[in-house]
Amino acid sequence: MKALTILKTALGLAPGCKKVNEFLAEYVDGELDDKTRMQFEDHIGLCGCCNHYLDQYKTTISMTKETMEVNVPSELAEHTLTFLRKNADFSGS
Amino acid sequence: MEPTKEKESEQTARQLPDSEVATTTAEGAEGAIDLEALLAGDEKAFEQLVIQESPRLFRVIVRILGDDDEAESILQETYLQAYQRMHTFRKESKLTTWLYAIGINLARASLRKSRRLSSLEDQEVEKMQPDFNRGMFVETPGAWDPSKITELSDRQQLVRRGIEQLPEDYRTIVVLRDIEEYSTDEVAQMLDISSGAVRVRLHRARGALRKLLDPHFRRQPAE
Repeated sequence: MKALTILKTALGLAPGCKKVNEFLAEYVDGELDDKTRMQFEDHIGLCGCCNHYLDQYKTTISMTKETMEVNVPSELAEHTLTFLRKNADFSGS
Repeated sequence: MEPTKEKESEQTARQLPDSEVATTTAEGAEGAIDLEALLAGDEKAFEQLVIQESPRLFRVIVRILGDDDEAESILQETYLQAYQRMHTFRKESKLTTWLYAIGINLARASLRKSRRLSSLEDQEVEKMQPDFNRGMFVETPGAWDPSKITELSDRQQLVRRGIEQLPEDYRTIVVLRDIEEYSTDEVAQMLDISSGAVRVRLHRARGALRKLLDPHFRRQPAE
């Protein structure tokens, strides 16, 4: 990391790795305000550790999204409606 | 100085340097379902709710339970309870949020009953987060090899196994946020916990998954 960033972090004027990591979910999910997001980006741009971690964190999320495919039974809704007609005061249409 | 690990409780307010986390909205379109008709007991409107929401709700329940047959039973029970309790819906959340909360609670009760337990405990998830000393990483995270990620044939199996190892409440949040892409506030309403708790558990779940995948994707050191 560049000396100025290290100094700012040490003085508590810029977020360090721990702070960036603590709010990484909000950063990745776009839930940080602009000012904080820019502070985080300054840090991540200069910090190899946070850069690697962020890259792996995002890869983990994208792999999670593509996993756990579920086959939905074609008659699912009809089975549920049949169940309701049997078990509740429900006639349906 | 000893390395410090993120051990703050979810109830402890996390503080950003000098700003706040922007809030997300919980409101959205309810599809074409006539809510007033539904609340008035209109069966046609309820049938429409069953047809519209069954696939997605089924996917959520399957991903929590890992059992298709049990998930279909839970789905049916969810709609039965929703139909019988429709008069208790107070419009304080989206209708679908209310419906999914019923389904998720039933799925969790089924998990507890069947004792299908996750292999990781909450404390282990916490230990899988990175260590920091004076606010900086103690250990540099080893780089991942992109070719390993794309070429590994059982990648999906690895990720699936990792998700299944997570404690149930972490897994449910990953399913709702990262797979079904509900907002943080919607997930908080479905699970009846704070948005902050959703964010903390989601972050820890992602960190734990990253840690589980790390040995498989790490770049080999140069000879």
